[in-house]
Amino acid sequence: MAEWGRTTLEMFVEELQRPVRLDESFDRRVMVKVRRLYAAQRPRGVRAVFAAIAGVSRRPAWAAALAASVVAVASVGIFRARALQPNAGATRLEPVTFVYVNKTARSVSVVGDFNNWGVGDTALVATNHQGVWSVKAPVATGLHRYAFVVDGKEWVADPSALRAPSDDFGLPSSMLVVEDASK
Amino acid sequence: MSNRKMRGMMVVMALAGSTVASANAQDPRMPLKIDAPSRAAIQAILDSAAAQGLPEAPLREKFLEGYSRGIEGPKIVAVVRALAVDMAIAHRQLGALASSDEIKAAASAVHAGVPAVELGKIKKQGGLRHSLTLPFTVLTDIVTRGVPVGAAVNAVKSMVGAGAKDKEITDFQRGVAGDIDKGAPPEAAAETRAKSATPEKKPEKPEGSQIDG
Amino acid sequence: MLGLAGMESSDAELVTRVLHGDVNAYGALVSRYRDRYARYAVHMLGNREDAEEALQDAFTRAYRSLARCEEPERFGAWLFRILVNRCRTSGARRVRRGQTFVHDEGALLNASEEHPAEQTMWREEIERAVGELSADQREAFLLKYVEELGYDEMSEITGVGVSALKMRVMRACDRLRILLKEVHSG
Repeated sequence: MAEWGRTTLEMFVEELQRPVRLDESFDRRVMVKVRRLYAAQRPRGVRAVFAAIAGVSRRPAWAAALAASVVAVASVGIFRARALQPNAGATRLEPVTFVYVNKTARSVSVVGDFNNWGVGDTALVATNHQGVWSVKAPVATGLHRYAFVVDGKEWVADPSALRAPSDDFGLPSSMLVVEDASK
Repeated sequence: MSNRKMRGMMVVMALAGSTVASANAQDPRMPLKIDAPSRAAIQAILDSAAAQGLPEAPLREKFLEGYSRGIEGPKIVAVVRALAVDMAIAHRQLGALASSDEIKAAASAVHAGVPAVELGKIKKQGGLRHSLTLPFTVLTDIVTRGVPVGAAVNAVKSMVGAGAKDKEITDFQRGVAGDIDKGAPPEAAAETRAKSATPEKKPEKPEGSQIDG
Repeated sequence: MLGLAGMESSDAELVTRVLHGDVNAYGALVSRYRDRYARYAVHMLGNREDAEEALQDAFTRAYRSLARCEEPERFGAWLFRILVNRCRTSGARRVRRGQTFVHDEGALLNASEEHPAEQTMWREEIERAVGELSADQREAFLLKYVEELGYDEMSEITGVGVSALKMRVMRACDRLRILLKEVHSG
């Protein structure tokens, strides 16, 4: 680096640091998508809830909790309401540390029903040179299925976790029971 | 026929028609639009589940899982439908007060090959236990690791019956998994670990605690 | 689309408003980070089209996961991490498609009016040189010298150890030095 002429370095970096400007149509395109997601988060009964999921694929967790509560209220009578009751307060989030060891991976993320299976939404960080990847993420209390996605494409189960039965989709996954630490 | 029975019949009819279409997983990052017939089929399953008093969250999650993994619509429908059937079976054994997670965990156990009636027996053993989610999940895990169903059920049932806490059941699972990884026969691992993990204050009940493997 | 109030609010305030249902507040965050992060995506991916796609995807992913943003006051850093991760998968896809690294057409169109031909050539060579780096080296170089991050920050964002990052930056510099010498001598 020291051998490299400072002027050349400065010129080179200066050029790369020039702002890249996107026009406002970019904002509009993003916000169209965001508004669709937002609209999909506003449940109007069981059918609307599913339609929203099917249309946009994933929603923020707080919206899912809201949807669940609305569905519980809108459901068909006391039988169903009682069935849902034990989970009604299960929205508490607990910190969960996911750890995965892979020396050759370039990126690792965890996907599961706690993040609506969003690939890349919860990325693990390599904490040292031994290929140990980890992330601490808030996960709602309860039972979850999850998997790791390596380099954005390879789905693997967590070797240290509870195993899910042979997966119907042909891809491995693990199970996690998050308990309420306050109890 | 009462309205409830009729509704149950309709649910069974809706869930029974399985059209499993083969589909290979694609690049999971590629967005896959769910075709209209599949959307309608999923909606029908959700409606049926709601009518039957089943929690919809596990079905929605399964749908999202398939969607995110790039699975094609018909295959997702088949899997969600199979889950709904497993949940319905589990729900009958666990009763109306079962939590969504308990039903979800029990459905996984059924999917792994545990007879639903055994889940009902574990529930009876559990008495006033606050939740059976973890015992059912551990049961599924050790069956998936090769422990014969009968041995796995007996192990979990004995621990639940003796009032084992979740931590003790978790330790049991870790022990079994570790032993199997080291080469121990799965059945022997489960039996040995269950004995050491079961609290002594409540001896295992001699009647109705054994099943055929 | 964006109110003045939105432009003046902190990231944490905007995130809170979005989580309480004010979807327009997210527009302020988009506007705030759009250009700042477009530069990284363009240089990393080599063309404006892929960069816009990656950035758009990062914004929508961030929106979907906003409830899990643990430090709303650091929304920008969190978003950038999502973008870096997204650019990695884009890079992998580009390789699979067999496409080549191309210069940023938009930047070329905005070239300085002073000696425009020379300036354009210089920009082209710079983009070509950046494109010659491996994805790992390019990522490390851009984060260090263009985005001016410290190695600890880079490590946090990329998940790669500091020593490895230093090595990548050093190798990137060595490679660029050779490439730029070739340009000047040629």
